[in-house]
Amino acid sequence: MAAEYALRMGDGKRVFMSKEKIKEEAIAGAGHAVDYGSIPDLSCDEIDKIIEICIMPGKSVSVEIGMEVPVTHDIGTIRLDGDQGNSGVGIPSSRLIGMMMHERAFGADTMELGHIDYSYKAVKPIVFQECQAMEVAQQNMIVPLFYGAMPNMGLYYTPDGPYENPGDLLKAFKLDEAFASMEKSAAHLTRDIVWIMQKLYASGADGINLDTTGAAGDADAYAALNAVKALREEFPDMYIEVGMAGENIIGMHGMLEFEGTVLAGLWPHQQVALAEKAGANVFGPVVNTNTSRSFPWNLARAITFIKECSKVSKIPLHVDVGMGVGGIPMFETPPFDAVTRASKALVEMTGVDGL
Amino acid sequence: MDKQAILKELSDAMVTCKADVIMAATKKAADAGMPGAEIIDGLAAGMTQVGDLFERGKVFLPHVMMAANGMQAAINTLDMGEAGATVKKVIINGTVEGDVHDIGKSIVSTMLQSAGFEVHDLGRDVPIAKFVEAVREYNADMVGLSALMTTTLNGQKDVIELLKANGLRDNVKVMVGGAPATQTWAEKIGADCYAENASEAVERAKALLL
Amino acid sequence: MPIAHIMASGMTGLRAGGDLVARMELSKSMRIKEAKEYVAKKVGVDPIDLSDEYAMRDVREELGLGVITSVPNAPKGIAAKMNIEKVLDTKIKCCDTFRNQLKK
Repeated sequence: MAAEYALRMGDGKRVFMSKEKIKEEAIAGAGHAVDYGSIPDLSCDEIDKIIEICIMPGKSVSVEIGMEVPVTHDIGTIRLDGDQGNSGVGIPSSRLIGMMMHERAFGADTMELGHIDYSYKAVKPIVFQECQAMEVAQQNMIVPLFYGAMPNMGLYYTPDGPYENPGDLLKAFKLDEAFASMEKSAAHLTRDIVWIMQKLYASGADGINLDTTGAAGDADAYAALNAVKALREEFPDMYIEVGMAGENIIGMHGMLEFEGTVLAGLWPHQQVALAEKAGANVFGPVVNTNTSRSFPWNLARAITFIKECSKVSKIPLHVDVGMGVGGIPMFETPPFDAVTRASKALVEMTGVDGL
Repeated sequence: MDKQAILKELSDAMVTCKADVIMAATKKAADAGMPGAEIIDGLAAGMTQVGDLFERGKVFLPHVMMAANGMQAAINTLDMGEAGATVKKVIINGTVEGDVHDIGKSIVSTMLQSAGFEVHDLGRDVPIAKFVEAVREYNADMVGLSALMTTTLNGQKDVIELLKANGLRDNVKVMVGGAPATQTWAEKIGADCYAENASEAVERAKALLL
Repeated sequence: MPIAHIMASGMTGLRAGGDLVARMELSKSMRIKEAKEYVAKKVGVDPIDLSDEYAMRDVREELGLGVITSVPNAPKGIAAKMNIEKVLDTKIKCCDTFRNQLKK
């Protein structure tokens, strides 16, 4: 009987696979990315490399010496203190302690200050508290420190915000009203992000991290990119990182364009050009994990997308490797063996500039 | 024109997402003597293709709605005889209490509606009792439960338990979805199915209800 | 999980030279190879040394770039960043903000 190797499903569950099965899964995963993204396939050598990383005997693996990259850590600020049940570990501590622990104890290359609600809209009424926190942090810390939050445009729609919910309008076939609602929300969101960052930059933030851009579809991405453009024009030296919400920009509107390109339906290798045009310094591409498929399938798929994105990008890529993306299983405590394998494979095989 | 060619024409018309093209193809099929039920099969095949194109980022939500509306308008012109009395299957859909994520759930509602289901979208942050009330009020065939946070995932289980307590569980299928939900989770809480995305939600609903 | 990534692939921040490389990616949009070469040249090491705690400890101490352990009298926080500005020849916003707050 052929040797079997301990791997994972996309939901984190342990599975055992033969080398042949791993190969079959990796080829299928890469093929899925090729089919959906209309991008080049992986070579035989690259498939072999994925297999090699999957079957390495150690529980944890790592990149070759000299290939290390900076690791940015979104929302690390509240990783310790947060006790919402989602990723925070509930150790009572201030945000400053959270950030400094990551800098001094955990070896993070950059950090960000973030608010527990983690949406720009929620930051607006408390921005001066955030400014104070930023000033104190910048006096004490050394690594680059962003202010970070999600554009999260859903908060601008009823019942959370002032504009009628386009989801409801679309279902009622009120297309023009839905488009108008999304456009007004986008303009409002752009204005809020710019206003908030004007304040935080004046308080010494190194820059902005737009996390999960496009979560509410193409209008969300449109708002974020316009905010980036406005911030870049006003602050030429601001560090700007644009991280995506998903691998494809969902067309809720379908006709919004940024710099002449329709946003809906773009894949990572197409998104990065727009982030660059808007003025971002770093782009964070996302490839979603399918929980019903295996780790080799998801990893090969992620590598195929990210490799193409890295090939066409002129700006650094910090690929998103959180829970449920970048080949990482969708599980609250993602298994170490899968995390380190995804980490190694993405860095060594795609030419990304950070995680 | 043979039957396969007419069916393909109907399907292709759906993929254009244009009501006038869909109407014209439907009229042509009816004029050629194709029974209403078969015309609907052709249109439905096209709608499935539209769903697949949405999944691939080739068409967008407004297109899906335009295709669905075109299809409905075309069906309304057909003489369905007894088949016309077919009642739509009813689905209640919402995001569980404590979770304000709305977009993904709305996309699922739209896709289900486009696939011909009668959908009642309860919105987001929906109290568990409201799901049960809606199942009763609309005599629903399925309830869709969305949760986007690990902290709110348990709300899906709570709805299932409340359906059981009210003696409604055996009358209604339960579908779960959202980022932290998985097939294993669905099995653990006794849901009937899990869907990874909107297209899959349509497939699962069709498999369980049609 | 981020610690797993840091251990598997990271440059480990202040333990070595990860923050310095990150700064060049973020301030000048340099891709990894260029950023490593730029920083290595500025601090006088080989690019491979930028993730080497042994090599970078002395460099950080000598240039006043901040070290991970608590060393009395070593530049910390904003003081270390002011040294990083000079060594890497790059602007750091909070250093400017701090300077502008000082009375002439």
